[in-house]
Amino acid sequence: MLVITYLVVILFLAMICHLIIFVVRDADVAIANSYNKRQNLYAEKVMKGQILSRDGEVLAETLVDEEGNESRYYPYANMFAHAVGYDSQGQSGLEMLSTYYLLKSNQNIITRIYNTLSGKKNIGNNVIATLDYRMQSTAYYALGSNYGAVVVIEPDTGKILTMVSKPDFDPNDIDSILAETQETESSYLLNRATQGLYPPGSTFKVLTALEYIREHPDYRQYTYQCKSEDMFTGVPIHCYNYNVHGEVDLKDSLAYSCNTSFANIGQKLDMGSFRSLCETFLFNADLPYDGYYSKSSFVLDASSDPTLIPQTVIGQGQTLITPLHNALIMCAIANGGVLMKPYMIDRIENCDGNVVKMFLPDTYGRILSADEASLMTELMTGVTEYGTASAWFDGASYTIAGKTGTAEFNENKDSHSWFVGFSNIDHPDIVVCVIVENASSTGASATAIARELFDCYYQNQ
Amino acid sequence: MITIITEVSKYLIIFFMVLYTVKCFTVLKPVKEEKKKKALNVQIFYVFMIHFLCYLTMFLHYKTLDILLFYLLQMIIFIVYMVSYHGIYKKSSRLITNNMAFLLLIGFVMLTRLDFTLAKKQFLFATIMLLITAFIPLIIVKCPGIKNWYVFYAILGLGFLALVFVPGLGKEIYGSRNWIEIAGFSLQPMEFVKIIFVFFLASAFDKAKGIWNYFVITCVAGVFMLILVAEKDLGGAVIFFMIFLMMIYIASQKLFVLIGGLGGGVALAVAGFMLFKDKFGHVLVRINAWRDPFAYIDTNGYQVSQALFAIGSGRWEGSGLCQGIPTTVPVVTSDFIFAAICEELGVIFGLCLLLMYISCFIYFINISMKIRDPFYKNVAFGFTICFIFQIFLNVGGVIKFIPSTGVTLPLVSYGVSSIVSTMVIFGIIQGICVLENSGVGKYEKNKSGKRRKQKELREEFSGE
Repeated sequence: MLVITYLVVILFLAMICHLIIFVVRDADVAIANSYNKRQNLYAEKVMKGQILSRDGEVLAETLVDEEGNESRYYPYANMFAHAVGYDSQGQSGLEMLSTYYLLKSNQNIITRIYNTLSGKKNIGNNVIATLDYRMQSTAYYALGSNYGAVVVIEPDTGKILTMVSKPDFDPNDIDSILAETQETESSYLLNRATQGLYPPGSTFKVLTALEYIREHPDYRQYTYQCKSEDMFTGVPIHCYNYNVHGEVDLKDSLAYSCNTSFANIGQKLDMGSFRSLCETFLFNADLPYDGYYSKSSFVLDASSDPTLIPQTVIGQGQTLITPLHNALIMCAIANGGVLMKPYMIDRIENCDGNVVKMFLPDTYGRILSADEASLMTELMTGVTEYGTASAWFDGASYTIAGKTGTAEFNENKDSHSWFVGFSNIDHPDIVVCVIVENASSTGASATAIARELFDCYYQNQ
Repeated sequence: MITIITEVSKYLIIFFMVLYTVKCFTVLKPVKEEKKKKALNVQIFYVFMIHFLCYLTMFLHYKTLDILLFYLLQMIIFIVYMVSYHGIYKKSSRLITNNMAFLLLIGFVMLTRLDFTLAKKQFLFATIMLLITAFIPLIIVKCPGIKNWYVFYAILGLGFLALVFVPGLGKEIYGSRNWIEIAGFSLQPMEFVKIIFVFFLASAFDKAKGIWNYFVITCVAGVFMLILVAEKDLGGAVIFFMIFLMMIYIASQKLFVLIGGLGGGVALAVAGFMLFKDKFGHVLVRINAWRDPFAYIDTNGYQVSQALFAIGSGRWEGSGLCQGIPTTVPVVTSDFIFAAICEELGVIFGLCLLLMYISCFIYFINISMKIRDPFYKNVAFGFTICFIFQIFLNVGGVIKFIPSTGVTLPLVSYGVSSIVSTMVIFGIIQGICVLENSGVGKYEKNKSGKRRKQKELREEFSGE
């Protein structure tokens, strides 16, 4: 019986340890979940703390009027509208992700006991975001009155430095906005950076090229004679502006974004295997992101109609992607094949500025090999050195690898402008992903905006 | 003023709980009768203090007279019960009554907080059972014949267990067909059959001679478990398996039985699961919900996630009674009551509760070890395993240590079947204590008598 007694006691001690570990280590993060319905309960005892940018700007704070009514105030109004979000009749953005951290108080214990006993509210903790004020404002003004989105991420950590979506709104007026938009589906509140689904356009050629490399070890020998247009399985494909690129290899095809060459490559791909590649790159899958987002979709497979292939491999067709997702693909390439989980909360401090909790970078996993990553990087340098983006990066003090895109979204050939890429190719610093909607009419260029962001980043260093 | 009283009560409750838990272990030490009596008095004082503070907090919050009356009624019933029980059974164990009273009272507190109607129902049944179980020691002392009825136990147990398959009587809840409905009350036959099962095994092992008998017993026990599996009551099947395994190990005293049995059980479970994958969809669902409840929060992970929110927001000291919202956890009054305890009374209180259960277990094992009669030894041991294992399955499931199996927390959770069967188990162990304490005396008297005889004989011889 002694054996059994010991076994049972050990089992229970293990269970007790599990419970203690949960409370000490996991509970804070576990309860910060939008399914937890205790926020009103906490709000009765704690005054919600501030959200600050990583360079110390207050992005959201609680104001108390003379009668003791609390309201949330956003000093930068529209600039951080989607990233920081709002907290009224529902929540979004950082306000949603960090509610429970803001509603917890790690103030001095004696003050807390005093407050509890005298019925006063404790001051909640502050959340320091990974968002960078200077980068965010640069992106905000660079995008101007265009519709679109900008995402900037550190590929080696997953920290989101910038997240802008346009059109925007003033979160200080959220109540009236919500009242107005109750009937009409509003596009102002939609965070295009994470929820906007766009055709990837030519930025998708990065994945097409990678699939070709995987299926054809002799990819170095690839050549194609571009005559500006051609027929593929009965589908006419032509290059942008009917440019003739002449004889191109794989790097040139990507650099010039040669549609006919890529349609030609598409003829040589196994669609079943391409679909599985896309799915490891998080198409049709959940993104490792905690806020609201839309799932990207890639619909072709081995049994699909072959006439869909030429459009799909150049990023048209039915494929849809969010700007955040496009940035994550580039992050994995920039980080040697390993994708880091994107995040927006850097640390939590109590109201006296003492750090309560640090959020450390977390790996999602390897989605391409290190060799493939450096190969893709090398191919993409062509884009900025002599290809479609070269004009925009003249005289840059840093190296850039990336891909431009022109994504047609209607029958009239109106198109969105994309740029996704990273700087300092030896030790990548940031990934920038920009989309400008309907750029063919407005004349704006995603690449130009990206250049401003890279410049801003290196000026700050 | 009220906030100050409530806040102070919160910490006082934890303080008394810690003292109570410490006492649970220190009274296990063999000390003089006088000292022990004093320690047990102090222990029950702690219980009543916790109980009083809890009801004080709730009264200040709800401000209804019902709560006050309910509290007084509980006090009267329990004091009358304890005084008269130990008055009648002089040899009974006061530690068992103390612990039982504590668990029942904590159950009443939590149920009053969560659902007053259920609390009153639970109180009614518990009071009736206190009366009924008071006769159990008497029956055990007067009827030594119960040792020999293993055939009867087997037939009764299997028959009762199979009741759920009778159309119109059995019903399916949460994917398992393990309930019957009689006169508006839902009962789980498994709760009662586990008692019969322990009696069957104890009696059969007592009478078993040779390997063949063991084989037959194993087969009959297997039929019990197969019926539970057919009801899709896997939690029940696991409890029965553990009871069987532990009891056969004690009866045979062979370590390989224990190790082989554990290995074989796991292998059988995996093989059975692979074969009937489609039939046990709800098991896979529970395993997934266990591995990552937050990923399945919309569906099957909802309950465990909510339980973790409750525990995580309660933290060490808890929110205080009526200050949290444990009702967001589904089935919080029965299977998930531990989450509510952690949220409002605090994780320290929850940990103390677990430690207190361990002390209870150690005490039961002690009783079982001391008993000389193999039948009662087996019975006491079987119940001990049944009791502690059920706690493990329940709490482990709530805190995501193991997949949740849908068993109740003995004496704390709401549940007619659970409260009735656990109180019967406590009554029987108490009865065995009474029997043993009076039996030991007799045995020792015989022994000393024998010795005297031998001495006399020796003297006679030497005298010659």
